[in-house]
Amino acid sequence: MNSLSEHLQTNWAAMTTNDWVGTILTVVVFLLILAAYIYALYPKNKEKLEAQRFIPLDDDQLDDGEKHGG
Amino acid sequence: MDATAEQKYNLDVVRWFAVMAVVYLVVGALVGVYIASQLAWPVLNFDSPYLSFGRLRPVHTNAVIFAFGGCTLMATAFYSVQRTCGVRLWSDKMAWFTFWGWNLVIVLAVITLPLGLTQSKEYAELEWPIDILIAVVWVSYMFNFVMTIANRKSSHIYVSNWFFLSMMIMITYLHVVNSLAIPVSMFKSYSIFAGVQDAMIQWWWGHNAVGFYLTAGFLGIMYYFLPKQANRPVYSYRLSVIHFWALSFGYVWLGAHHLQYTALPDWTGSLGAAISLAMIIPSWGGALNGMMTLSGAWDKLRTDYVLRFMIMSLAFYAMSTFEGPVMSIKTVNALSHYTDWTIGHVHSGALGWVAMIGIGALYHLITRCFHTEMYSVKLINLHFWAATIGTVIYVVAMWVSGIMQGLMWRAYDDYGTLAYTFAESVEAMHPYYAMRAVGGAIFLFGAMVMLYNIIMTVRQSMAEGRVEQARTAPLATATA
Repeated sequence: MNSLSEHLQTNWAAMTTNDWVGTILTVVVFLLILAAYIYALYPKNKEKLEAQRFIPLDDDQLDDGEKHGG
Repeated sequence: MDATAEQKYNLDVVRWFAVMAVVYLVVGALVGVYIASQLAWPVLNFDSPYLSFGRLRPVHTNAVIFAFGGCTLMATAFYSVQRTCGVRLWSDKMAWFTFWGWNLVIVLAVITLPLGLTQSKEYAELEWPIDILIAVVWVSYMFNFVMTIANRKSSHIYVSNWFFLSMMIMITYLHVVNSLAIPVSMFKSYSIFAGVQDAMIQWWWGHNAVGFYLTAGFLGIMYYFLPKQANRPVYSYRLSVIHFWALSFGYVWLGAHHLQYTALPDWTGSLGAAISLAMIIPSWGGALNGMMTLSGAWDKLRTDYVLRFMIMSLAFYAMSTFEGPVMSIKTVNALSHYTDWTIGHVHSGALGWVAMIGIGALYHLITRCFHTEMYSVKLINLHFWAATIGTVIYVVAMWVSGIMQGLMWRAYDDYGTLAYTFAESVEAMHPYYAMRAVGGAIFLFGAMVMLYNIIMTVRQSMAEGRVEQARTAPLATATA
């Protein structure tokens, strides 16, 4: 067994319920943040997202009852 | 004069929260300067338990975090959610309940803490009846905010509202869990957690109070008020989305870095430090996003003093979000922990980031809500320099003092004997403690200038009847 596999080895049989909950939550959070990054950086979404930059500057229009924001 | 906004939105509650925030800034900073002076000149205790450092320190932290910070967050969130959603607050009555309830909490804190009534949990000192009141008032704030968003006219929820929401949801969760306790009398309770679990829960709360209350909430302020004041859209909306999600997912892991070299399992502290380092990326992304909003319009900083506060706050935000992760690394933590370096770091974030972005937003709000210009622009400039110089003096004093403390505590001779006694390290701190008190006093002077300027602005608005005119002006021709 090389040192890396030794370092990464886990005694799965010793995992408690808390350990499993924590592990699954960690993986789910990682996948969610990955999805958020992909969504935000996907070129097709650029125009749609960047259009929202103007909301604070356009809020006077909202004062007059106009709908906006894509 | 923006009569449309005055008649359409609830600006009354915003005005009250904004003015009270400035009052509490002065009170909190005043107590801070007093207890800082006690550390340099202990005679200022006057042998009174009610004035001792141990009892007044939580008064200071509660006043600046929950009184000044809370009122600022409530004023800005209630203002910006109405503006960005194009609708009035869902419930005016509930907004006033939030205002009076929050101020009641502050009054109760000011009474109970000097009396020594405390749960002894840092940043969560208040006893259980007040904790319940905090939870109820906080939920009323969140519910009103959420319902206002639900009624919005715009289809998109602007990013500042996401940051505010993240803060509201997480602080509810953190406050309730960390405050779980068994009451044994009206003013005494014991935490349901014990030992290292209690420590972990406490710092899960403690660091996330910083992460969500003092960071996410104030980033909500930054993302609305900076573009508004600069009259330019935020540099990159996509970057703000990444900033939001990375911060929301990442921050909750950091608390364990407060407990390096304790009974907490070693891997937990390592995980806290690793995620802390990873958080530099979104934090700096957010700071750059704010600063780059001025790209091509930096000349505005010459004349717009409110904008200066906001940009300076982002510089401190970037600095303290780099310093924090570095301090969480175990080798650095071995030197920095339990020293004044931590105090310097905290105040770099609290005075430099939180207070300055909050102050910038409050100046912006006051002119918009009282429908008049500030009484004196020169005094805003004076405040800016007092706040900046005061913060720098404070932080530098604590950096030098903290690193010296850490080095003195761990210095030993050839025989393995400690080179300095603890008392010698305390004596060596004296000039820096005096310097810290001076830095704090300069910051306090700036806050008092702000309060004076705002009182005069409000008086000017009242004398000219600006709010009343905005309330009664016919809408078709009113917006000037």
